[in-house]
Amino acid sequence: MNLYEHTIIARQDTSPSELKQLTEKYSKIVEKNDGEVVKTENWGLLNLSYLIKKNKKGSYIHFKIKGKGNVIDELEKNEAIDKKLLRYLTIRVKKFDLETSYFGKKEDSEKKESAKN
Amino acid sequence: MPKRQSGNKKGKQSNFAKLSIFQPNKYKFKKTCPLSVKGAPEVDYKNIKLLKKYVSENGKILPSRITNVSQKKQRELSLSIKRARNLALI
Repeated sequence: MNLYEHTIIARQDTSPSELKQLTEKYSKIVEKNDGEVVKTENWGLLNLSYLIKKNKKGSYIHFKIKGKGNVIDELEKNEAIDKKLLRYLTIRVKKFDLETSYFGKKEDSEKKESAKN
Repeated sequence: MPKRQSGNKKGKQSNFAKLSIFQPNKYKFKKTCPLSVKGAPEVDYKNIKLLKKYVSENGKILPSRITNVSQKKQRELSLSIKRARNLALI
């Protein structure tokens, strides 16, 4: 069993209910393949630093997954087809960092920085 | 003697030239890797605030000879910067 961090970016015009559907859809795929979703994080709507398919913003969803390699194969196969998504990224980690959350807090600090500038 | 020479070279590189050759070595500007110190933040592709310090205005990765990051940490940095780029975070 491996530990994975999986992030997907959805289009900017997806509604919150659709986002929930997306998270449920992909959590189900993980569970079907004998995987386990340890944690899901919703990073919210963030500004993209460059345009992706003419989108300026994207909603980020972050999964922490415990499972075998075939889980990731199946996930990425489905995500490559999905038109609601812009990007996905999977990273294998040795240890989950469940305490620090970089997003959420980050928005406040960014606002402060922009106010300074 | 060779030790002193290398010290001089380093001083020139980081724009901290020695005032005098006869100055004792302890006044030499000594920099250490800011990421290897105890209590330093962990390098991670989600920690954008940290990564942005090691990226130029144009989004290029800064060389370690400017930032004084150790080899090991520089490798980690460049990998996580590339990951963050993929996610359009940087």
